Formats: sequence, structure tokens, C-alpha cells
Amino acid sequence: MKFLQSAASRVIGLFVSDWVQTAVIVAIIVAAWYGISGLHATPLPVLVGLVLLLAAQLVWFAVAEARREARPRPLPSPSPR
Amino acid sequence: MGQQLFTFGAAFLGSAVESVEALTIVLAVGLTRGWRAPLYGTVAALVSLAVLVVVFGQLIVQRVPESSLKLVIGTLLLLFGLRWLHKAVLRSAGVVAMHDEERAYQQTVDELKGATARHDWVGFVVAFKGVFLEGVEVVFIVVAVGGTSKYFPEAIAGGLLAMLVVAVIGVVVRAPLARVPENTLKYAVGIILTSLGTFWAAEGMGASWPFDFVSIFFLVAAYLAASQLAVQLVRRPVLA
Repeated sequence: MKFLQSAASRVIGLFVSDWVQTAVIVAIIVAAWYGISGLHATPLPVLVGLVLLLAAQLVWFAVAEARREARPRPLPSPSPR
Repeated sequence: MGQQLFTFGAAFLGSAVESVEALTIVLAVGLTRGWRAPLYGTVAALVSLAVLVVVFGQLIVQRVPESSLKLVIGTLLLLFGLRWLHKAVLRSAGVVAMHDEERAYQQTVDELKGATARHDWVGFVVAFKGVFLEGVEVVFIVVAVGGTSKYFPEAIAGGLLAMLVVAVIGVVVRAPLARVPENTLKYAVGIILTSLGTFWAAEGMGASWPFDFVSIFFLVAAYLAASQLAVQLVRRPVLA
């Protein structure tokens, strides 16, 4: 059972490290898909926008995580005796 | 020909990185507890993974319509590639520690010290688990890269050759492959998989890329530039 849980979390972990980032990536893909299939927009500007947005989120989330890591962590509160 | 080579190369590089991690676990078990049990565990894991590749590969290639396949696999490949790229950027910038095969090896050896020698199944289970879980990533890379591009045999060949090369080096060296530039490899594979994912996801949406497959090289350039920008921004002293 422990092995199955470990395998399942490993499979999810293949695609998701940060749920917010994953949601943003999926939202970008859905928006591009809607633009091309739903609105029948000219594909090239949509493709350029798709790549730029995906590249921008990569930069944004890397910098955000670095900021989080750099922030001083609060000291653990003394344990009650 | 170019697309075949690209598919083979992507499967080879991605599989090589994961094979190095699996090898570290098998070596740790084999050198501390003897080779029989971990070798059985490794073979059992490889057979299970081969079944996964055949079953999922055939199901995906034969049952799923091409456009849906490209959109879904492209999206998954994009998520997978971006996760590797994100981690590689943070490692390159020094925010996250590099993956250390020596430390991973020592950790497994320490875990095994508590188990007594008569429980040979411990070696079997640890080797099986390590090879299977690392191998799941190899299976995904092979199925995603090969299933979508119609070059499934090339992707399988790339994955198998990578495992074989790493296994042979492991047998010769008999030590964890700590000198493999794992972060650089993950960085490169992250960029390749992200580019392939973007290419196929967009084709699955119904768009066609200018210059067809050649546009992947523009995507590689774009993601390389973005990741380098991220590394530079993260390294800035303002974040310290």
C-alpha cells in the first residue's frame, strides 16, 4: 500500500511541483486552444503569445521561489516544559 | 531524419538522467548486501516497466485520435519539461542544492544497515522500488516523445540504449556516477521536452507551425533565453 501511495505521488509529481504554477500553465494552454479552435484567431500571433506567456511564467515562478527561499525563516518557538 | 534523431536524442538524454539515479540505488544495495536480490529486483522492475511501455504505448497510439493525443501528451510533456527546467534554473542559480549521487548512495547504504542479512527481500524490494519509480519517468518520456511523433521505435531505442550505457558504466565503475553533470543534462532535457510539448500541444489545438518541425529549434532558443534570464534574475544580489 505504501509502495502504491509512493508510486501515485511520484506520478503526480512528474507533472506538478507547484499547483499554482501548474494551474497557470494549463490556463495559458486553454486560452491558446480557445483562441485557435473557438475564436478561429490567426494561429501565428496566438502561437507567439503562447510561447511568450509560457516563457514569462517560467521566469516569474523561478524568481518567486528564489524570493521565498531567501526570506528569513522564523525561529521555532521554544517547546513547553 | 532530423525529427527521428531529435526523438531518439530526447528519449536517450531524458532516460540517461533517470537511469543514473536508479543505478545509484541498485549499486548501494548490491555493494552492501550482495548482488542476487537487487538484480532480481531490477529485472522484475524492468519487466514491469516494459509491460507499461507496451500496453500504454499501443493503447495511446492506436486508440486515441491524433489531435487529442497531441494536445494531451503535449500538455503533459510541457508540464513535465517545465518542472525539470524550473528546478534546473534554481539549481544553476544556487538557490537549490545540486543533486548529489554520492549523498543519495550513502543515504541508501545507511538505510540498509539496519536490516539484517537474512532478509534478502529487503534488497529485492529496495532495488525494485528504486528502479521502478525512476523508471516511471523513463516510461513517460519514451511514450510521450515516441507516441506523439510517430517515431515510437526510435524513442524506445533511445530509452533502452541510455539504460544499457548507464548499466555498463555502472558495472565497470562500481560506484555512483557522481561526475555525470546531472543538472546540465536535466536543464537540456527540460528545454527539449518543453519545446516538444509546446509544439505538439499547439498542433493538437489545430495550429500549424511555420517551417514545421524546424520551428522546434526556435522554441528551444526561446526557452533557453527565458531560462537564462531567470537564472540571471535569481542570482541578483537583491534577492540575497
